[in-house]
Amino acid sequence: MASITLSGLTKTFGTFTAVKSLDLHIADKEFLALLGPSGCGKSTTMNIIAGMEQPSAGTVRFDDRDMLNVPMGRRGVGFVFQNYAIFTHMSVYDNIAYGLRMRGLPKAEIDARVRQVAELLGLTPFLKQKSAGLSVNILQRLAIGRSAAVNPQIFLLDEPLSNVDAAFRAVMRTELKHLQREFGQTMIYVTHDQLEAMTMADRIAVMDRGVLQQVGSPIEVYNNPVNTFVARFLGSPSMNLLPARLGTEDGRPVVEVTGLGRVAAPASARGSADVLFGIRPEDLTITATDLPGAFVMEVVFVERVGPRTIVHLARDGQELKAIEGNGFPVAIGDRLGVVAKPESVRLFDAATGQALDKEPADG
Amino acid sequence: MTPEAMTPEAMTAKAAMSDPLPASARRSHTPPESPLEAEGRRLGFLMALPTQLLLVFIVVFPLLMQLYISLTAWTPLYGQNWTQAWQSWNWFENYAEVMQDGRFWSALWRTFLVIIVCVPAQFLLGLGLAILFVENFPGKRVFYSVLLTPMMVVPAVAGYMFFMLFQSGGPINGILSDLTGLNVTTAWLSDPSLALAAVMIADIWQWTPLMFLILLAGLIGVPEDQLKAATLLGASWWQRFRTIMLPRIRTVIVIALVIRTVEIFKIFDNLYIMTGGGPGVSTETISVYIYKVTLQNLEWSYVATVALIILVSLSVVTAFGLKLMDRR
Amino acid sequence: MPTRLPLQLLRYALVLGAVAITLIPTLWMASMAFKPIPEWTASGAALRWWPENPTLDNFRFIFGGSTSELLVSLDRTAWRPILASLLASTFGTLLAMVCGTAAAYAVSRFRAGGNLPLSLIQLRIFPPMAVLIPVMIMWTFLDLTDTWYGLALIYGIVTLPFAFWLMKTFFDEMPREIEEAALVEGCSRLRVFLKITFPMMLAPFASSALFVFILNWSDYLIALLLTTKDWVTIPVYMASLSSSMTGQLYGAKAALGLIAALPPVILGIAIQRYLVRGLTFGALKQ
Repeated sequence: MASITLSGLTKTFGTFTAVKSLDLHIADKEFLALLGPSGCGKSTTMNIIAGMEQPSAGTVRFDDRDMLNVPMGRRGVGFVFQNYAIFTHMSVYDNIAYGLRMRGLPKAEIDARVRQVAELLGLTPFLKQKSAGLSVNILQRLAIGRSAAVNPQIFLLDEPLSNVDAAFRAVMRTELKHLQREFGQTMIYVTHDQLEAMTMADRIAVMDRGVLQQVGSPIEVYNNPVNTFVARFLGSPSMNLLPARLGTEDGRPVVEVTGLGRVAAPASARGSADVLFGIRPEDLTITATDLPGAFVMEVVFVERVGPRTIVHLARDGQELKAIEGNGFPVAIGDRLGVVAKPESVRLFDAATGQALDKEPADG
Repeated sequence: MTPEAMTPEAMTAKAAMSDPLPASARRSHTPPESPLEAEGRRLGFLMALPTQLLLVFIVVFPLLMQLYISLTAWTPLYGQNWTQAWQSWNWFENYAEVMQDGRFWSALWRTFLVIIVCVPAQFLLGLGLAILFVENFPGKRVFYSVLLTPMMVVPAVAGYMFFMLFQSGGPINGILSDLTGLNVTTAWLSDPSLALAAVMIADIWQWTPLMFLILLAGLIGVPEDQLKAATLLGASWWQRFRTIMLPRIRTVIVIALVIRTVEIFKIFDNLYIMTGGGPGVSTETISVYIYKVTLQNLEWSYVATVALIILVSLSVVTAFGLKLMDRR
Repeated sequence: MPTRLPLQLLRYALVLGAVAITLIPTLWMASMAFKPIPEWTASGAALRWWPENPTLDNFRFIFGGSTSELLVSLDRTAWRPILASLLASTFGTLLAMVCGTAAAYAVSRFRAGGNLPLSLIQLRIFPPMAVLIPVMIMWTFLDLTDTWYGLALIYGIVTLPFAFWLMKTFFDEMPREIEEAALVEGCSRLRVFLKITFPMMLAPFASSALFVFILNWSDYLIALLLTTKDWVTIPVYMASLSSSMTGQLYGAKAALGLIAALPPVILGIAIQRYLVRGLTFGALKQ
């Protein structure tokens, strides 16, 4: 068990900077999701922690030990690859026993540990089987078990669910979370899927173009994105962002959303500036057109996805998505009023994309 | 060649039995053959026909002729046509003679000796080189191309290169003299105890690249993630090599070994240019033996017997081997 | 995984050693090709890696028949054997590629041919020496001995397995949807092959043809058996280059060897990425 501290971590490939002075602390036994689009540097970060790549600058410490000169085999890192990298020419048993055998442990001890891990992961019935041709959820458990057998201090998982079909992902997510509790190790989970990050992680670290954007609990990152990138990346459908102008009216801050109307701005907003008006679809309420303060818009499309109805609204080139419940009575062409919950409005600087009422990111 | 393979009719009949439906017909829901499938079957037959005919021409006909001649004492020496060979019919006398032909058996043994030495040597050297080339390093592509050149050299020319190198005043003795400080004038190719070694060195030079090429292709195909996974689990390089790389390229290794074994069994060009099978019979392999007996002694019925025995033995071995591979 | 410096140095040492061993025989022959007669057999202290007085005499000799330097004159020059090698290899390649491609398509698409694929492998396994006598009798009977077309015929047959297996793996890999689309449009099967499939296969076909050409060009044994005088190929001609007066004509042979060795080496490097596939009958594709 160990905490991980990355400081000033930088990795360049020629002229391309994959990771730019990354500072991040991951507490012991924490489950951290490293979230970002492909090419954002999250996998490179992970590879550096595992020792598969050397950073161009910066340090990696586990607890207080500097890890940079420790070769990858001795860092005590368990790694679950995207494709699981199971040794398909070996049986399930041999896969789990692999790391123990490489350490030259006595046969009886290996056997006991393999059986213990297999039992914990529900792999006992498969021990004698060839690992080629096993179903994907068993392969995933095997990949975890193979790493867990040698008692790593840290678990790294590289998009382990990206090869799993959608229907099965929910099951695997639950299982993974359960396993992490079972093993109690520090875990870093790399993913580009915000839903995976939201449902499993204790904290989420969002990266974009090599730069760490925000770290925080899923709710915190979701509710208070520090910039428009994080705002757009989390949530499905993502946060509505509309051009607007911040001003004051009767001494109170208001936002004039271009072409739609005026709403009260968060109390923390000051001054006047071009801003982006951000509101999550679920924080919009569809009402009658004549309600004061409501944006009057036309329904251009309706997605009915099981429990929810996603209503696409437009007016004068401005578009909004709102989420309502199942069976919400709405049809294309309807003219409706839309009201934003004032406490849920987020404002971003139009030029920089930074949140105006930004709270400092921790970590 | 198996008897069923001998006529195109038999082949198509067999194909029709073992696989009554062409691939495209599987999805079709109408039981009788559609016009398109019939067209495919006809076209397939016609397109395979020239190759079938060439096979019959080069395999069936010569084999029958060979069988016939081997049962006689015929020789072209007296201008007698081979069709007249029945006049000297002698049943299995040639076969009995082969069993007691010391020169034949020692040629066969010598061929195996070359295989036993050269195949493992080429394999180990090729594997060693391949391991050096798995990772990227500056200059890799150029070195790779250079290392492949020997196997592209015409084997007869390669034989001549080594003929020159192994002259008693040649560069190999020159290098040995420089290294030892003595005046080495070993007559490699005219010393019966060294000539075969010289031939083996030439073969190893020429064909190690083939092993290198094939084994490297295999090693590069080993999934990198699995090697990383093994490293993360604490495996040393040697442990990774033994537990991941070797098992993963087992098929590739078998293919490479089989190819070289088969080719060395036929060894002729480079060897014949270097030594002509000599001095005496000291480098006479099975191909050289057949060639010499054919052209020098002109005992064609006897040679036919030897050739037939080899062909039948090889057929049995390869049919068995191919069946084994098929099962995998 | 970064490699540590001492290991990197060891790698270079080993690779450079292998490169040296690889190059020495060829370089010696190349050097010999430019050496004048006195240097041919210079040994001991006089042994030189590079010609001291480089000359083109060896080339003049094999192409011109005689030079002032050599006491012998050739009864024929290297032109004819080069022509023989070119004609026999080219037409042999053509035969192998046409028959092999057609058969490969038949097997790949229509599962025609039954045992054909394995029979062809067996054909490759058999030593040519073992059918030597009947083939010599047949070639004499058909008046094919010592002709370039007789040689081309046997070359075509001997390299057929390579042509077939190479093209079969290429056809196997080609997506069938394209052909099926054309069939739905009402094209005949033959038309689909000629107008759609084959044009798509031109690059693999050309590479396979070069591979087969190298094999044919490299032959010595078959030409030794089936040609006697008019149409001997380069290797046979080279082996015969010696005289009773001067013994081995080292330089002349080396010059000819150099000429024979160059085309396959150049072509081989050009089709490098198909070599593994070709040499393993498509079992490995790299």
